[in-house]
Amino acid sequence: MKYNKNSFKVLSVILAVTVAVIACSKSGTELGGSKPDESGFDKTAMLTNYADNLIIPAYTTLQTQVGLLETAVNTFLSTPNTTNQAALKPVFKETWLKYQNVSVDQFGPAETALLSNFLNTFPTDSAVVEGNIGKGTYSLTSNASINQQGFPALDYLLFNPHALTDFSANAANRKKYVQDVLAALKTRVGTVLDGWKGSYRATFIGNTKSDSGSPIAFLVNQFAFEMDQLKGPRIGWPYGKQSAGVMYPKNTEGFYSGISIALATENLSALKRMFNGNGSGKGMSDYLVALKQQKLSNDVMSQFDKAINSLKAIPDPYPTAMTNNKTQIDAAYREIQILLTLIKTDVASQTGVRITYQDTDGD
Amino acid sequence: MINLSADRLKRPVPIAPLVTFRVLFGIMMLVGTIRFWLNGWIVQQFVAPKFYFSYMGFEWVKPLGYTGMHLLFALIALATVFITIGFFYRVATVVFFLAFTYVELIDITNYLNHYYFICLVGFMLIWLPAHRSWSVDVKIWPQLKRTEVPLWMVGVLRLQVAIVYFFAGLAKLNPDWLLNAIPMKIWLPAKSHLPLIGQLMYTTWIAYLFSWFGAVYDLFIAFFLINKKTRPYAYVFVLGFHIATAIFFPGIGLFPYVMMVVSTIFFSSDAHRKLLGYFNKGAKSNPQPLRCPQKIQQAFAVGIGVYFAIQIIVPLRFIAYPSGLFWHEEGFRFSWRVMLMEKSGNSFFTVKEPSTGKEYEVNNSEFLTPLQEKMMSTQPDMILRYAHFLATTYEKRGLKHPAVYAQCFVALNGRRSRPFINSATNLAVQQLGWQHYKWVLPLPTNEN
Repeated sequence: MKYNKNSFKVLSVILAVTVAVIACSKSGTELGGSKPDESGFDKTAMLTNYADNLIIPAYTTLQTQVGLLETAVNTFLSTPNTTNQAALKPVFKETWLKYQNVSVDQFGPAETALLSNFLNTFPTDSAVVEGNIGKGTYSLTSNASINQQGFPALDYLLFNPHALTDFSANAANRKKYVQDVLAALKTRVGTVLDGWKGSYRATFIGNTKSDSGSPIAFLVNQFAFEMDQLKGPRIGWPYGKQSAGVMYPKNTEGFYSGISIALATENLSALKRMFNGNGSGKGMSDYLVALKQQKLSNDVMSQFDKAINSLKAIPDPYPTAMTNNKTQIDAAYREIQILLTLIKTDVASQTGVRITYQDTDGD
Repeated sequence: MINLSADRLKRPVPIAPLVTFRVLFGIMMLVGTIRFWLNGWIVQQFVAPKFYFSYMGFEWVKPLGYTGMHLLFALIALATVFITIGFFYRVATVVFFLAFTYVELIDITNYLNHYYFICLVGFMLIWLPAHRSWSVDVKIWPQLKRTEVPLWMVGVLRLQVAIVYFFAGLAKLNPDWLLNAIPMKIWLPAKSHLPLIGQLMYTTWIAYLFSWFGAVYDLFIAFFLINKKTRPYAYVFVLGFHIATAIFFPGIGLFPYVMMVVSTIFFSSDAHRKLLGYFNKGAKSNPQPLRCPQKIQQAFAVGIGVYFAIQIIVPLRFIAYPSGLFWHEEGFRFSWRVMLMEKSGNSFFTVKEPSTGKEYEVNNSEFLTPLQEKMMSTQPDMILRYAHFLATTYEKRGLKHPAVYAQCFVALNGRRSRPFINSATNLAVQQLGWQHYKWVLPLPTNEN
């Protein structure tokens, strides 16, 4: 009996100590992690590099470019002629390309704002867009409206074959719709950038975990997600991979302005820059090297180049290439698939990140 | 020495261990159920998916829809409350066991060793008289009250916990775990955010320390818990070990807490009685041992024998298959292989119509949740289930005799990803069953 009393004492002491250790480890989190170590890897420096040299500048550039787009759009809307449409096109293309730089950053403020859903859901529903214009009443804030706005809607409105005719007479509603879509787009980019400039930057670089929901897990998951988008909606599905060769050219990204491949190439190039931290020595590729995975890191980088080059071999507009350049498209599709596998299996495995896009228990 | 003679097993001991076990288990399961609900996992796992990976023989187990699943979880929560307070205990344990097991049988995707363990404990509680003291039932029907039960009634729970630990330890006795410290070497650097010890996570020796300590702990902890002299120290190790796993691997959810709670069953009946006495000072009664007729005792002896034979054979069934357990996962589930390997996969499916040669690549996200896709990509039986589902689905879409092919890549324990499934095999015509699947490509043994 005496013995049991003692054991309870021992247990309660141990319990108290454990509780204290846990409490301390929770409160001490801010202290840990930021010290570089020769044998380790400075994840805080990596995340700081991502925030300050890649993500925030990408949003800033996009915001500036959206301003230029606004000017060019207004010029076109006030005088909708061939010259102004031609002048608008490169500005529009440049803005969409700049968007591709932030496409992979769909976490934190961008996730809250559903930025990619509102800015780049393609194909746009041109019938509903026309309906909205006809009625003159619409909401661009509801989640159901994601395929009636953003770049794909502008692409349709500004560059469809009958755009000039549409804008020439009785086009007050149409002009207003374009301006509303652009304004909504501008506001969303501004909100996300403000979020990063506000508190999210600190949240991002202060969390060096790899658990579900952490920045590192977000990054790896987003790489995989963007690769899936590239393989499917951007390249494979419109080309008929899903449908026994029956093609859906109108489902391509940038169908009306004919810039699908340029957008896809920029998307993948941006992904590569993100993967190697823009060559700063503080990227995911360097983290792999620190984990003694030099060969994997090299293989992924060279596969990025292979895939980017194979995409560049496809000429825009993509719908035309679908019939004339099948060999190049099939080759690009293969390279993308190899890169996707490397990221989803090898990279995810080595970095200890689970590809699920959702939170759950495991064992 | 432990005397395992039948007489000793029938020796009456205080009922207290069963009572504390009942109360702690009930509370833990209530918390677990509420947590599951609040996390939105009922919808995510049992409402949102369009397709579910059934267990062989349990194809009739289907999700019950949004309202149905929430009602089922509410029923489970209610049963845990009834179990905790010992109110209509027998009904509550039967309801808990059936409802919980039903939920777990819906989709292989959600298989977790500790859910399986909870099913087993739920089943055992049906037969154990854990409500015959300290319960509402006894307040209502005082004649139910017993203060003592035969030792084996506590013993079966101890044996069940011991089996979990021991087989978890046996599973760790493999070259990757012991000689290469993998997967610890992969998982620990992801924990460098931890205070004080964070930077140590990149060092090799700590990976070996974790691996070897884990293996030794799992293999021997049950023996130290059974032995009266080492028990308190062993339980300290239980707490330390599982609190550490909870901190290092928060992704394993309830598991550490389950083990910390159920391991209390090893404490002596006296210790449990004292613990309960703490809350109920001055309560004393004459010993009221539980007696059951000879025939029932014999039936129980046979039942227990069969049950534990199954518990030992099932984790060892992998021996009947060709080597490569981690790669093929034949005989992997229901074997206490917890946090044992790092495996990631990626799979592309193509459906072909032989008569026309038409090819349809499958967009997995059209049919599967991200979690389902991830789990399916590394487990052959799930790949086959999905392939059969695709064949049926595409047949409904008008294809004649669709053939299904998989291009699948898997990275196991830090090795580079390699093809997993023979991409020339038409999976639509492969049989689901216990046999060795020859369409899974072998993992070259000489490669690392």
